[in-house]
Amino acid sequence: MNFKKLLTRPEFGAFVAAVGIFVFFAAVAGEGFLSISGTINYLEVAAQVGILAVSVSLLMIAGEFDLSVGSMIGASGMIIALAVTQFDWPLWLAIIVAFLFSLVVGYVNGWLVIKTRLPSFIITLASMFLLRGLTIGFTLLITNVTRASGLGTYTEGDFLAPLFLGRPLGLPISIWWWIGLSLILGWMLFRTPFGNWVFAAGGDALAARNVGVPVARVKISLFMLTAASATLLAIIQVLDTGSADVLRGEQKELEAIASAVIGGCLLSGGYGSVYGAAIGALILGMVQEGIVFTRISTDWFRAVLGGMLLAAVLLNNYLRHRALRSR
Amino acid sequence: MDPIIKLEGISKQFGKVNALEDISFQLFPGEVHCLLGDNGAGKSTLIKILSGVHRPSRGEFLFEGKPVHLDSPRQALDMGIATVFQDLAMLSLMSITRNFFLGREPKKRLGPVQLFDATYAARITEEELRKIGIKIRDADQPVGTLSGGERQAVAIARAVYFGAKVLILDEPTSALGVKEAAVVLKYIVQSKLKGIGVIFITHNVHHAWAVGDTFTVLNRGRSYGTFKREETHRENLLQMMAGGEELDELAVELDLISKRDPGQAGEIEHRMAKELE
Amino acid sequence: MLKLTSLRIAAALALSVLAVPIPAIAQKKPHIIVVTHGQVSDSFWVVVKNGVQLAAKETGANVEYRAPEKFDMVALSQLIDAAVASKPDGLIVSIPDADALGKSIKAAVAAKIPVISINSGSDVSKKLGCLLHIGQEEELAGKKAGERMQAEGVKKAVVINQEVGNVALDLRAKGFSEGLGTPAEVLAVTMDFTQSRDAVSAYLQKNPDVQGILALGPAGAEPALQALQNAGLAGKVKFGTFDLSPTVLQAIAKKEMDFAIDQQQFLQGYLPVIIMDNYIEYGLLPANDTVLTGPGFVTPDNAAQVINLSKKGIR
Repeated sequence: MNFKKLLTRPEFGAFVAAVGIFVFFAAVAGEGFLSISGTINYLEVAAQVGILAVSVSLLMIAGEFDLSVGSMIGASGMIIALAVTQFDWPLWLAIIVAFLFSLVVGYVNGWLVIKTRLPSFIITLASMFLLRGLTIGFTLLITNVTRASGLGTYTEGDFLAPLFLGRPLGLPISIWWWIGLSLILGWMLFRTPFGNWVFAAGGDALAARNVGVPVARVKISLFMLTAASATLLAIIQVLDTGSADVLRGEQKELEAIASAVIGGCLLSGGYGSVYGAAIGALILGMVQEGIVFTRISTDWFRAVLGGMLLAAVLLNNYLRHRALRSR
Repeated sequence: MDPIIKLEGISKQFGKVNALEDISFQLFPGEVHCLLGDNGAGKSTLIKILSGVHRPSRGEFLFEGKPVHLDSPRQALDMGIATVFQDLAMLSLMSITRNFFLGREPKKRLGPVQLFDATYAARITEEELRKIGIKIRDADQPVGTLSGGERQAVAIARAVYFGAKVLILDEPTSALGVKEAAVVLKYIVQSKLKGIGVIFITHNVHHAWAVGDTFTVLNRGRSYGTFKREETHRENLLQMMAGGEELDELAVELDLISKRDPGQAGEIEHRMAKELE
Repeated sequence: MLKLTSLRIAAALALSVLAVPIPAIAQKKPHIIVVTHGQVSDSFWVVVKNGVQLAAKETGANVEYRAPEKFDMVALSQLIDAAVASKPDGLIVSIPDADALGKSIKAAVAAKIPVISINSGSDVSKKLGCLLHIGQEEELAGKKAGERMQAEGVKKAVVINQEVGNVALDLRAKGFSEGLGTPAEVLAVTMDFTQSRDAVSAYLQKNPDVQGILALGPAGAEPALQALQNAGLAGKVKFGTFDLSPTVLQAIAKKEMDFAIDQQQFLQGYLPVIIMDNYIEYGLLPANDTVLTGPGFVTPDNAAQVINLSKKGIR
């Protein structure tokens, strides 16, 4: 009976797909794929998408989209890099300011969606362009080039840096953040009243409001969460590469949404799983780097990703219908 | 006994449209008061006023003897007026337990954080549903796996559990088959016996007659009056609802159809036509 | 000058092959991975890839060519990490951003994988532990271009950068200003033809006194050419570019452009594979830190010959 319950969980489809893909790459490209450095390689790629995907999936379950996360990565990364290299700010201050900036933008996104009742798809599409454009414009204004580099010297010894840089126990810090966030957000979704409200807001916002669920507050805080996680990723990338450029993060929002959908989230909201999104990100990472190990041209990555997305959605659809059938 | 709800001279306008004109209405605890009327009669507007979705344009709304001005459905709910709308406010992808306790989740502390006490919630849900005769294998199964009638039952059980003093049911049987409708009617009676005042909105006279103690008929925003069971017949109610002449025409039509169709359906229609004559 | 360099290399290789007796053992084919930042839409890199493929065929080595879909340093460093994890016999990379890629390249060196850098990163190649760099010294090439324009009397010039963030291009621009004697403004454009053309048109309108234009690649030169034609200025402004394409060569033949700097990127794909293969199999390595494949100037005098080869994807 317990097994039947497992079958109906939203993550089941993604889990099966992940195992299948792992077996495939292990068989076809074992040498590189199964080595320690190969594993860390695809886990790191997965972690970077995953940090975004888990927050984005929460928002999707609540029935909304945030297309601006990719632009936020570029914007907050640039804020930090410019503050440190051009204005001599200490790194920890730049990090805090970048987070505050993202929380404000997230709040505005959410507030606009609630107030105007326009689809969040449209509102965040607009903020996606706005953010990216402002990033490019301001960066060129201040520095006349579109990237800021050389952060390495400024960040040595800063007390916040170890939180976002390095390889504790040999695993890149992004992986730790990814796993940590997945566990915390997943637990929040399934084990707290707030999580129940997230499901309700996505399933039927009006009905939820009528029963007293603070739908507006729930959605706005989730928009703030997605923006903050974009900034988290930006910080990790900036410290890792020692530089920021205005185009960082482009199209990451689509990868995050794809991970969430592969993980079982419905585009219409009301159903899904944070753990599923984490598995979806793992799948993306495995495929993106796994292809390299198989010696198929990387040009095919997009095609494979698209095919997988379709297959995952069909599988999840089928499993969900079986779960909803009258027992 | 004093009425738990009293409406006097309630009117509602939407722009130039008069949805309700001068409606007076009383509901007593432990009573099933049926609100009848054809589509467009104004029934839904009236319950929206009762449940806090709309404010009346004119008139007095008294709850337990005191005048109230409801600003939100949540307010009505907190006061004890539970409304089960046609769409049920049941989220089919969520489990029965989560639906049951939505907005009123039981909590247990874990350090600084509040957890959703899922085990307690599931236990209560199973108990309450058992009390009204629904046996579910698993309170965590999605609400979508329940039939329409069972979902109605869950909605009613939820309202009763959270201490509703007034239960407003908006067309609960309209989308159900005969057997399922009978089950829902049974729960209505059970609720009434618990001392809850039930407002049962329907356009099906037969269902209303099966459980109702009092009947108010609306037609195009106005009330034809309130009648106790002893004071009227089912046929009278039907006549008022449909407006007399139209129903006679309908009876003739049905008669013609039944004569053309030799099958079972024709027979039933013929019988109905005879009864309505 | 370039002919001499390639001749030198060919001679060195030829001599070394003759001097060392080749053991007649059937060896496992060397596995070489090439990772570059070359965007698919950039015709420049197609030539490099052709060079790689020809050398792969000639040496019989197992060569893979990989690049991220767009100019993305994070993705590139991850590709390099993946390449290192595949444990190839040799790694060939371009280094458009030493900060972002340094860690990955040092990891390759630490894993005892021989690394050759090409195209970008001539200034950091040795420091990061690469065997040698094959390409063009960007700042030097830029300087020569600047000197050339200065000799023609240009005082005010603009540089068109189509891939901002690529340090190699920044060096070209820097060298150009040096050689020119006066600092040249940098106009940033993208790989999008229409957007770049419009950006250049707008610039020309606002700066009617500009005397020279230097594009840092055909992706910037071709839209700029159209912008000049639309403004009726083709041939009236001194116009040169780095790197070749059929459109650029035809413009030179028609005297609408004055010169193109050929870094012979075919050799940047061809030579590293040849050298890496010889290093893996026999331990042979040229003694230079940098093998220069440019700058060579293509002018209206020699454009015709080059045009044919450009159509074949060799120049």
